[in-house]
Amino acid sequence: MPMVRFDRVSKRYPSGNEALSGVSFELARGEMAFLTGHSGAGKSTLLKLMMRMEVPTRGEVIVDGSNLSRMREGLVPYHRRKVGVVFQNHQLLFDRSVFENVALPLLIAGTSLKETGRRVRAALDKVGLLGKEKLNPIQLSGGEQQRIGIARAVVNKPALLIADEPTGNLDPELSAEIMNLFSQFQQVGTTVLIATHDIALVERMNKRRLILQDGQMVAGNTASEGVTHV
Amino acid sequence: MSEKQITQQGASTAKLAASDKLSAYFRNHQMVAVESLAKLLSTPASSLLTWLVIAIALTLPGALYMAVNNLQQLSGHFEASGQMTVFLTTDIREADSNALRLKVGSLDQVNKVVYVSPEQALEEFTEYGGISEALSFLDENPLPAVLLVEPPLGIDKDELNVLVAQIQSFKHVDSVQVDMAWVERLLALLALAQRLVVVVGVLLALAIVLVVGNTIRLSIAARTEEIRVIKLVGGTNAYVRRPFLYSGFWYGAIGGILAWLMLGLCWILLQGPVAEIAALYGADFYLQPLPFEPTCWLILSASLLGLMGSWWSVQRHLVAIEP
Repeated sequence: MPMVRFDRVSKRYPSGNEALSGVSFELARGEMAFLTGHSGAGKSTLLKLMMRMEVPTRGEVIVDGSNLSRMREGLVPYHRRKVGVVFQNHQLLFDRSVFENVALPLLIAGTSLKETGRRVRAALDKVGLLGKEKLNPIQLSGGEQQRIGIARAVVNKPALLIADEPTGNLDPELSAEIMNLFSQFQQVGTTVLIATHDIALVERMNKRRLILQDGQMVAGNTASEGVTHV
Repeated sequence: MSEKQITQQGASTAKLAASDKLSAYFRNHQMVAVESLAKLLSTPASSLLTWLVIAIALTLPGALYMAVNNLQQLSGHFEASGQMTVFLTTDIREADSNALRLKVGSLDQVNKVVYVSPEQALEEFTEYGGISEALSFLDENPLPAVLLVEPPLGIDKDELNVLVAQIQSFKHVDSVQVDMAWVERLLALLALAQRLVVVVGVLLALAIVLVVGNTIRLSIAARTEEIRVIKLVGGTNAYVRRPFLYSGFWYGAIGGILAWLMLGLCWILLQGPVAEIAALYGADFYLQPLPFEPTCWLILSASLLGLMGSWWSVQRHLVAIEP
């Protein structure tokens, strides 16, 4: 069973704009892939469908065996706990410390305090911010803030990690560091999908590439293709 | 090998046992309850404003209730007495009136009978002045003999009516007058006041729901970003709702306690003057504070109203915030 399966998925927004049309692809468990395409090609919509932030107009989105189109509203939060997500704009809360930001998913899931402390420190250690847990995220640099976002996304040990332009605001060196971090998570078994338009970086990483163009998947939609060069 | 171990560990620790979930649920409730109160206390000026609005809105019907409660006790004294005046026909002879006095005195529901002869009545009247001159124009004493009948304290209205009918049926009894009319009027007014307490109470309860609802709406608006992030990382609607519901509860509960304190203050301020008035009337009466049970109801219903207000607001505004 693949981790992610899109079956002829179309998404039309109420405005009439068709963001995705007939997109099909699969992502195997433990696979890492990049999602590229021009801005407005539908990358964000595709990721939102995986988080059940949007519902497809047609077709089926299946993540970890659950059909998101048919998922009851009440179960959506539990689905989201299985998916770690990283945003370009971090989505951090500046009224609390780095530790509290990273601990949020565990707090919500009801993890014990002792276990929470252990896991938050492990996640912060992984992204190299262990000494800064008591600071406010606003005191940290853009690259560090992004790493807090990544620590928060992985602290719950999700089976699937998705990222929307995680290196959007970072210089090439920092971007490469962040990408390396993602491939480390893949190495321990997490399925990773990263939407980016940083083609140079993607080519260096030598991973499978899914390419969207005007809402259609023009390359990388079959796993057998492996690494796709365009 | 090592990879596999790590992922397996990840899968097992991510799941929680049912008992852990339950204790985590209660721990969350406890934490949110404390945190939401701390949050309100961290902005004392604006919180106090809401608390005072709630307290004043509750003090008004509370004070009315207290007043009605006191008047009811006061009227209770009079209601219990039910003294009556039995007028005898003017043609009655001395011996007959004596017999009648004994007959009435032997009734079960009569504690005491006093016979007032026409002469005694005339004497009493002359003492009051003014009327005596008018009376002196008359050839003979126009006043009838009277029996003052005192039923036992605490006699109820039905028993009293039976007693009146009984005495009325005796020979030589002209009419029976129970000094109850004004007590009945007072009771009718009290019933009206009680209704007023309910109407004012309901209106102000509605006001409390709206005030708390609006306050919660503002705090939801201020925390939109946080709510979005929480929903994004898997917070359920119940989880997102919880701190706001607790805030609403605290607004109501503390507003209720403040209202109780305000009523206490009213009681302290009014107690002296009321005692003075009572002394002037020679009444053994002092102002009762709000009893324990209504106090509990006051604080409990304030808490529930706060909760209702926040629930109403949360239902309307929280659902709209989606990541």
